[in-house]
Amino acid sequence: MFDNNKIALGLLAGALPLALVAALLSGPVNIDFAAALQQGWRSENSDAVILWQLRLPRALLAILVGAALGMGGAAMQGMLRNPLAEPALLGVSSGAALAAILLLYYGLAWQSGWWLPLLAIGGAFIAVLSVWLLAGRGASASRLVLAGVAINAFLSALMALALNYAPSMFAMQEIVFWLLGSLANRGWDQLLLALPFILAGGLLLFASRNYLRALTLGEATAVSLGFGGRRYPLALLLGIAAAVGAAVAVAGTIGFIGLVVPHLVRPLVRQDPARLLWASALCGALLLLMADIFVLNFVGAQELRIGAVTAFLGAPFFFWLIVSARRGGAL
Amino acid sequence: MPPEDSVDRAPARATRWLGLLVLLAAMPVAAAERIASLNLCLDQLLLDWVDHRRIVSVTWLSANEHYRRAPLPDHVTLNRGRAEELLSLSPDLVLAGQFGAGRAAARLQELGMRVVIIPDAYNLAQLQEQLQALGTELGESAELLHQARRLERILQQPVPGEPVSAMILSANNITYGSGMLEHELLERAGFRNLAAGTAEGAGEQLRRVMLEEVIAAEPQLLVLYGGEQAFALAHLAARHPVIRRYVDSGRVFTLPAELGFCPALVAADVLEALKQKRESLVR
Repeated sequence: MFDNNKIALGLLAGALPLALVAALLSGPVNIDFAAALQQGWRSENSDAVILWQLRLPRALLAILVGAALGMGGAAMQGMLRNPLAEPALLGVSSGAALAAILLLYYGLAWQSGWWLPLLAIGGAFIAVLSVWLLAGRGASASRLVLAGVAINAFLSALMALALNYAPSMFAMQEIVFWLLGSLANRGWDQLLLALPFILAGGLLLFASRNYLRALTLGEATAVSLGFGGRRYPLALLLGIAAAVGAAVAVAGTIGFIGLVVPHLVRPLVRQDPARLLWASALCGALLLLMADIFVLNFVGAQELRIGAVTAFLGAPFFFWLIVSARRGGAL
Repeated sequence: MPPEDSVDRAPARATRWLGLLVLLAAMPVAAAERIASLNLCLDQLLLDWVDHRRIVSVTWLSANEHYRRAPLPDHVTLNRGRAEELLSLSPDLVLAGQFGAGRAAARLQELGMRVVIIPDAYNLAQLQEQLQALGTELGESAELLHQARRLERILQQPVPGEPVSAMILSANNITYGSGMLEHELLERAGFRNLAAGTAEGAGEQLRRVMLEEVIAAEPQLLVLYGGEQAFALAHLAARHPVIRRYVDSGRVFTLPAELGFCPALVAADVLEALKQKRESLVR
């Protein structure tokens, strides 16, 4: 059984480069892939520009954001010990998006630079801290969801309000982007802006892996195992906020990745919350990249928001979760 | 549309413009003295081209920094497109656009006011009709006459040969097809609009275009839509690093925002500027 799981994870890891190639081949323009690859990223040839400056950063951003959301979801579910915990559902993404909106539309606009991911991380941190504090220790699924939904609704309303009064003609229509996310028109600049923070968040989460393992035995046991004090949960919250906040700052709120992915890969890592982190990152990256390939090939320039595609995948999964909970008596 | 067609149609256009000039020259003397507008573009045309003492009301949008082109005199009342606001001002002419404030215009007409609908302009022929309709209603206006003559003079000039390829990239990745005024201006200035399309029925109106389609089309001139500089993700495409190559090599032309909401104000300027840009590119 263990071997089968390893093979499945190996297949997922092998599928990622294949999906990356598929993403690089996807788009409304037929390019000479081999020639463009050979010409290198400094080439002025249009095929090379399309490959190196447009498709590659977009695909890598999908991988990065998907990994951040998958990992963030796995960490939230482990920390809150709740299968419904998800960055977008519980308001963490909204917190990041609200901070980004306030900065971009009312503040530094195009010159925001590092402030954008930093403030988004701050927004995400406050949101995830609020959920954690509001739900209380060892909260039931219903209490946690109630706290998360309340925070999410409040932050989403603030986002709409902020955009409503923003001094931009397009501000209202851009609510759709911030609520559903998009990877369109992204380049290396956005990728490089998010990368260090997502890596830092991933490292923080990785460093908290044993705390997550200990938490599966209950908080009291975790304390008895030497995980007392506030620094462990705070490091975990900061890790979630850094990964999710930086991802949201450049790609908007993309839902359901953080919910679905940990559930999909949990059997493959034998319920180990520590190994679940990197497995979720891998699967999240693959899922978002596949969603983007779908958007590019079947929707094209009309640009169905990527969050809508992930919601298509996520909503039926949610139904399944509810049905299985009703059968089993609990979530 | 090939430039030869435009040349063929030039005499017909010239006749129409001549008709307009004759009409403007022989305006009725008893022109309206208290004019109100229910349309943003008409606001701007009035404020730009007509004696301010004749204007009693314009829409509230004209007070907005984004749209305001001419100074707004203190005595002019701002309206929000409601009939009751204009009733108390008792204008002797209310100008309205084809779309918007239709209810207020109909109500005012029922109440016995003189309401005139000025058609919107989506191409050069409609622009001509718009100026003609305005000329009929506003009477003798030196500026209107000047603008009409200027546009006529520019349109009578031959279309430069050997078109230079161009493509428009507006907010939200929108490009302009062959049915649009922007396309017509490009073609008249000696450009070939790459978004016009060749298939029947395709590329006639607005459509979304992905950045890689713009790069693959390799236009010699990239035309952006100007206007507000406030942050919006809608402008992300125009600020992508791949567009910087065009900016750095001077192969970018920015259309004024007024062309979008009131082409009569700037069509002649844009056409002249586009011709100059073409000259600089082929040199």
